[in-house]
Amino acid sequence: MSDWIHRIVAPPALVIAVGAVPCYAATYLTAEQAQKICFPEATEFIVADVKLTSTQMKAIEKDSGVRVRLHTQKVWRAKAGDRFLGWIIQDEVLGKHEFINWTLALNADGSVKQIEILDYRETYGYEIRNDKWRAQFCGKQHGARLKLDDDIRNISGATLSCRHITDGVKRLLSFHELMLKH
Amino acid sequence: MQRCRPLLGTFVEITARASDESKLHAAVNGAFAAVEGIQHLMSVHDPDSELSRLNRFAELRPITVSHETFAVLRRAHAMAVESDGAFDYTVAPTLAQWGLLPARLYRKCPGGWRDVRMLPGRKVRFLRPLALDLGGIAKGFAVDRAIDALRRGGATAAVVNAGGDLRVFGAQSSRILLRHPARPQTFATSLRIERAALATSSPCFTEQAWRGRRVSHLVDPINGSAITGDVSVSVRARECWLADALTKVVLNAPCRAKRLLARYEAEAFVVTA
Repeated sequence: MSDWIHRIVAPPALVIAVGAVPCYAATYLTAEQAQKICFPEATEFIVADVKLTSTQMKAIEKDSGVRVRLHTQKVWRAKAGDRFLGWIIQDEVLGKHEFINWTLALNADGSVKQIEILDYRETYGYEIRNDKWRAQFCGKQHGARLKLDDDIRNISGATLSCRHITDGVKRLLSFHELMLKH
Repeated sequence: MQRCRPLLGTFVEITARASDESKLHAAVNGAFAAVEGIQHLMSVHDPDSELSRLNRFAELRPITVSHETFAVLRRAHAMAVESDGAFDYTVAPTLAQWGLLPARLYRKCPGGWRDVRMLPGRKVRFLRPLALDLGGIAKGFAVDRAIDALRRGGATAAVVNAGGDLRVFGAQSSRILLRHPARPQTFATSLRIERAALATSSPCFTEQAWRGRRVSHLVDPINGSAITGDVSVSVRARECWLADALTKVVLNAPCRAKRLLARYEAEAFVVTA
């Protein structure tokens, strides 16, 4: 090991562009795997999807203070024999830089049991919609193109915030309160 | 196996292998639980955390804290002493003023790390009004605890990555991509690490305007201003709390950092645009 500070100067032209969008993606769990991790004791997961009317969507928005994008919310009831264990709600959030599929497991009383991320994609939506930026990005693909193989699974750098998931939890708790709770 | 959960205000990703696959889920659950435990004790955002209790009452009387919190406080304080304040865990009032931490952490004329006393029996006392924020070290500490849990749980190799602060254990080396600070959707370089930790600090995702100035979550304690611009500092060290804390020393005082890096057998990588 060295006691020296390595200075890496990375002018934009030398940056390794990672193919096309998304620049980083990871798949962690399938919906089924997540269900089993959240409720290992469950014997069955019963589909209980909910289609939302615009009135219902507005009510959830008002209650949670978070925008509702999806018209259909994927829901399962977790059961062990006759015993109701709780809910699995599958959801997606679109952040500033990331698109995330995730599940929220709720206990039978509606309290949060567990959150699992299913997959994660960084999209950089704003820049992608900007044609000028896209042209620039495409130009860089000629350089060293990096494939996201199994070897490259770790990224270090400025920390991404999980605030969109926190907002998602708020929204789904309102959804549970208004649409699932009897 | 690779799993990910939103914790510590970011995404915590755990990749683990074990010779006995059946043990793996329990080991990974244990590692997430360890991270959750640290968050529960040391979150500055959670008004019910042990750290928040300290920030409310330690100005009035000595407050007893858990072994975990005391361990992090001792490390944070030692790092403040050794870096002569280039690492400072008492910048919360400044960040509160900039709107980057809850307003309750604002203090009009705050004291500093020299006004924090660690007393026998895991008691902590502030000599002046101040507020602590362990954000610069606790995330790394949580990664270390997760690695401990995985090892105890029978994992043979693992990577725990808490939004860029990560640690690798096991025989295999791991390739880490460093985000480019000016273009975080691309990568500046890649590094290979083995049985070590790597942490990166950069203002690029938190930089914002405040009263006509640019501020970020990184405070230079020497002059009280924010670190801004397209720069990122990564430090490789044997443990993640150390890597995490040393990134702040390198950002704030590169000259002092050299001595500290040498002492801890650590290395720093500075990426500038």
